[in-house]
Amino acid sequence: MSTADGTVLGNAQIFGGAPRNRAFNVVMLADGFTAAQQNDFNNACAAFVTAFTATPPFDELKPAINVFRVNVTSTDSGADDPTSTGGTGATPRTYFDSTFGSNGIRRLLTCNNTTALQTAAAQIPEFTVAIVVVNSTVYGGSGGSVGTYSLAGGATEIAIHEMGHTAFHLADEYPYYAGGAETGHDHHPAGEPAEPNVTTNTNRATLKWGWAVAATTAVPTMSNPACGTVDSRPSPVPTGTVGLFEGAHYYHCGAFRPEYDCKMRNLGVPFCRVCRQVIWNRIGPLATLQARARTPINVVARFPEHMDVFAVGADGRTMSNWWDVASGWAGWFHVSGGIASPGGAGSPVTAVARYAGHLDLFTVGTDNRVYSCWWDRASGWAGWFALPGIVCRPGSTVNVVSRYSDHLDLFTTASDGKIMSTWWDARTGWGSWFQISGGVAAAGSTVTAIARYPFHLDVFAVGTDNRVYSCWWDERSGWSSWFTVGNQSCRPDSTVTVVARFPDQLDLFTTAGNGSIMSTWWNARSGWGTWFPVSGGVASAGSPVTAIARYSNHLDLFTIGTDNRIYSTWWHDTTGWAGWFNVSGGVGKPGGQVAAISRVTEHIDLYTVGSDGLVYSTWWDGSGGWAGWFALGVT
Amino acid sequence: MPTNSGMELPTQKAVRLIFEYDGDTVRLVSQQDVEMAVTGFDMAGVDHPGYYVDTRDAAGATLARVAAHGAFAGSAEVFPEKPGDPITRVEIAAPKGAFTVVVPVTAAASHVAVTRVAPGAAGQAPRDASARGVSDAVTTDIATFPLTAPTQPASSGGTP
Repeated sequence: MSTADGTVLGNAQIFGGAPRNRAFNVVMLADGFTAAQQNDFNNACAAFVTAFTATPPFDELKPAINVFRVNVTSTDSGADDPTSTGGTGATPRTYFDSTFGSNGIRRLLTCNNTTALQTAAAQIPEFTVAIVVVNSTVYGGSGGSVGTYSLAGGATEIAIHEMGHTAFHLADEYPYYAGGAETGHDHHPAGEPAEPNVTTNTNRATLKWGWAVAATTAVPTMSNPACGTVDSRPSPVPTGTVGLFEGAHYYHCGAFRPEYDCKMRNLGVPFCRVCRQVIWNRIGPLATLQARARTPINVVARFPEHMDVFAVGADGRTMSNWWDVASGWAGWFHVSGGIASPGGAGSPVTAVARYAGHLDLFTVGTDNRVYSCWWDRASGWAGWFALPGIVCRPGSTVNVVSRYSDHLDLFTTASDGKIMSTWWDARTGWGSWFQISGGVAAAGSTVTAIARYPFHLDVFAVGTDNRVYSCWWDERSGWSSWFTVGNQSCRPDSTVTVVARFPDQLDLFTTAGNGSIMSTWWNARSGWGTWFPVSGGVASAGSPVTAIARYSNHLDLFTIGTDNRIYSTWWHDTTGWAGWFNVSGGVGKPGGQVAAISRVTEHIDLYTVGSDGLVYSTWWDGSGGWAGWFALGVT
Repeated sequence: MPTNSGMELPTQKAVRLIFEYDGDTVRLVSQQDVEMAVTGFDMAGVDHPGYYVDTRDAAGATLARVAAHGAFAGSAEVFPEKPGDPITRVEIAAPKGAFTVVVPVTAAASHVAVTRVAPGAAGQAPRDASARGVSDAVTTDIATFPLTAPTQPASSGGTP
């Protein structure tokens, strides 16, 4: 019974169309199917695909999933079934040498894992998981590095549960080792399990799935009053509630699972919210991101060789991808389960790095409240938490400025248009939201802010009369009144973009009522200039102008034009404004935004949502000029 | 998005390794160059107890670490035939089997090591500690194997 007992016929892709090198590739191998029985194997694979791709969250991740079957003939049909474990005594000659009765238990169906892995690698080198389908109606299966299951009813559930271990590193959530009557499993040993779906930690603030636990859910949610036995009481909370349920990881007490039930606890039930998220963040990054059409993208360079990009998916998920010079792009992942508010362009995720090992994120949630979360190099991602005291306009932007590393200033618009701010300071925590000097913004206008000095803020917005307004805050004098910047009339939903090439200079950009791209400036010595059109450029309705200053005497501008192409121009003090040009043939979404960052002076990275709804990037380098656009995914 | 020079992100160079084990005896069965994206590095945690495969340079410095999930399993799951009956586990007297990992490789990678990370003398993280970073863990090499050429990256690795 070995590879001499059969032949590998070849493989066929039976599901998916993702590029193999950027996909979750499932390989199904036949064992105990004779040449005449290959169609039975094909049917079993088709049934698995139906069950697998209907199981959340795999149903949402189909664009990144491929399933292949590898047809292998065996000399005989079936699998070994020793009489010592109640079997028939059959000893068929099969390619992968599958056998029931492993370890003295008939239902424990195993195969030659080495042969299975070698065959899978030879047929589909990029495979993620290998599953052996055994031609027997006797119930059985097993997990580990190769999943094995038979044709008995319900055995596909074994394959999906085992995939949870093999591909997603999920722990078993059942609270017993041998069904509950065992000894030595009353209390989980000290120490935090590595797996993402079990914990010994009862601290809500540091709970690894804290992002999924509602503030109103008790923690622990269910405690076992008698650790000598398994807690078999019904759930005290509705199905789907995420909290801390005692009894997990083979122990009656001391270890907790996220929900009352989960496929990692019982076959035949859905994966819990936390396991779904883990699976999503393992497969999702393999795909490109279908984004909200006009979502503003945010990019932060915590240091020059690293970028963190934030966008909102078409389904509202708060998404991120990161690039590091050493490892390339990590792929899109869902940040702490967040969903951003729709409305207008949709609330973006804004981010700031107060220092290289830390990120603070902000967005407006679907309840139009302001939410924040953070990432820290030492502790990873925290959950989203609400900043109380404000209800925003749907789709509002929360802009953030860090004047120094222990301080944040936030700006947004309330549901009645009031221009609002709050702050966080490491010494005092979060302040209360307050209206800035009685200001009210036009519908759709965002509030922008800049800190030219650590003790000074300049704030800009389009007012209800569609004029550009500004005010400032200074540590010595507090908030000023709002004043109009010239007499420029804007589109009501315009953004006023501001850049400080040096501390005593501001350059402003916005769009006039007819879409013309307008600019003015302020200088500490000469005061405000007059508004002027920038090289005749006209922006797509709703598109903001993005500006960066690579040098104190140089500006680069980006926007989406009325033909939806992505345009750029630049200003240099010795040559003035250049004409607008299309960046690498790129086409964006009407009203979309172009995000830009200069990590080093002779380099620009751009991000936008392309005409097909995917997030794209390109770059300019002083030595090589503009590169082509590429869909952002995983390297 | 129409472009004037449509580009594909380059895929990181990687090697698939298949190991066979019988107790603590490990054999490298095959190594195969493969171009595929590997996600989820941020989920593995750092130095949690378990088995890992490290890629190392000639001086022994670790370049990358990938968890070897399911390797050296000392127990097996037994699934119930009747829905609602408990899944159980049984001890395996003599762990024996195979596992595979895909490890990213760079030009500096010279060999791989199968390692065991065990809790350190000070024990594991306290009950309310973060899930990440058991800092006093002890790493032991079970076996090392040379990487065979070619493993040169095809490109500089996605630098925009």
